[in-house]
Amino acid sequence: MSRAWWWALLALAIAGAIVFYLLTIPKTLPASALPAHKPDLANGEYMFIAGGCAECHAVPVDKCKSTRVRDKHALAGGRCIKTAYGIFNVPNISPDKETGIGKWTTLDFVNAMKRGIGPGGTHLYPAFPYTSYQHMTYEDLIDLKAYLDTLPAVQNEVPPHQLTFPYNVRRGVGLWQLLYVDGKTFKPDPKASEEVNRGAYLAKGPGHCGECHSPRNFVGGTIASEAYAGARNPEGKGRVPNITPSHDGIGDWNAEDIAYFFETGNTPEFDVVGGLMAPVQDNLAKLKPADRAALAAFLKSLPPRPDAVPKKNKSGRDNGDDDDGGNAEGDTGQQDGTE
Amino acid sequence: MQKLLIVVCVGVGAAICATAAISAEDLVAAVKERRDLMKKTVAPAAKLGGQMVKGVKPFDAAEAAKAMNEINGVPDKYVTLFPKGTEHGGIADKQIPDPDDQSEAKPEIWDNFDDFKAIAMKLKDASAKAASAAEQGKGTFTAAFKDMTKVCKECHESYREKLDD
Repeated sequence: MSRAWWWALLALAIAGAIVFYLLTIPKTLPASALPAHKPDLANGEYMFIAGGCAECHAVPVDKCKSTRVRDKHALAGGRCIKTAYGIFNVPNISPDKETGIGKWTTLDFVNAMKRGIGPGGTHLYPAFPYTSYQHMTYEDLIDLKAYLDTLPAVQNEVPPHQLTFPYNVRRGVGLWQLLYVDGKTFKPDPKASEEVNRGAYLAKGPGHCGECHSPRNFVGGTIASEAYAGARNPEGKGRVPNITPSHDGIGDWNAEDIAYFFETGNTPEFDVVGGLMAPVQDNLAKLKPADRAALAAFLKSLPPRPDAVPKKNKSGRDNGDDDDGGNAEGDTGQQDGTE
Repeated sequence: MQKLLIVVCVGVGAAICATAAISAEDLVAAVKERRDLMKKTVAPAAKLGGQMVKGVKPFDAAEAAKAMNEINGVPDKYVTLFPKGTEHGGIADKQIPDPDDQSEAKPEIWDNFDDFKAIAMKLKDASAKAASAAEQGKGTFTAAFKDMTKVCKECHESYREKLDD
């Protein structure tokens, strides 16, 4: 190659780097974005429960293996989450000033939740589901921050994530955020009832239901047109169920059944919740009955969708359509009481 | 069918080795037996009790107690049905063509077998309590049934691989 070609390549590389830099400049909110609001600690605690903060951030009983935690209020991190991108080590979000988020201002916190940007312009990985939390109201976020400040400060230095290339290039998250982060607060649908809107807010915002129950595309973003139609288990084998009111989903559950499941962990067939949903249901059981009903009403209002991830048998072969109907539904659905 | 040899060595001065042959058929039979206990004994009994609690069926003290006693008979037997090789995707599963009949046991069971057994014994206690609570009326039964459900959940959370729901 001639010298001129080398210069052209170099120029292209520099131009590319500049474009990358410009596109990934952290997009943070100014202090003026925050409304004047006196924090309500009770609501902050409620958002803490609805948001499931403890399930990831509380000190785990065994680092990577189970969902169990030592103390839901000691948010010192340390859980590891094994994903296709590498291992995420869940950070300490206790109010410890050195190893936790004790130095964060409310604005820092809101930027993390709504923009996926940490103090100093650090891009946060979306294993932290700010893609959902961004839809929360400023008031709820301010309350939540105030509540987190009241929890015990625990000193615990969590090691950095161990991700593979290119995912270990933190700045690259900025490109992803262009697609999936806008920081827009949930807007009620004027055509839907107040109850459905409350449920939609809880599901799409703090509850971050779609992070597990919606399938993802090849860049790891959730697919809006298949929302809540089930997905692969992000942390292991198998699938996360379709929760739309369809034949594949939970179309044969009425709203009371869904709310009852949230309250008790019992399906209409009285199978009992397990796996990653078990701690989520623990939280749902602590919500107000009206909020459980609202979540159920929201799920019933969703468009019925077929499974986004086809039902497969456990060795990866297709089960065939025949197995899906009739009483086999009970075996693949939420109804059997096995092991 | 392949034979699996499990060699158990007990070291007492000079090692004494006892060799036991467990065939894959035995492992398949263990998976079937324990799944049947859950599907054919526990699930219908839990459903009956649960429907009374939920108000889908009228409360009947004798029926409720009977159902809880059926559950109570399961845990002792159940925990003996977990030979190694019967975890999900293990030796037994390779012999089971229908995925619905395969093991849903997480390998963590064998890492924490004492904990697994302890939860099974909690189920025994909780179901006995629910059975006697039934005689004291619906309110008492409801509370005891819900306590039992928490035990179900504790085990399902850590040890059940629910692959297709």
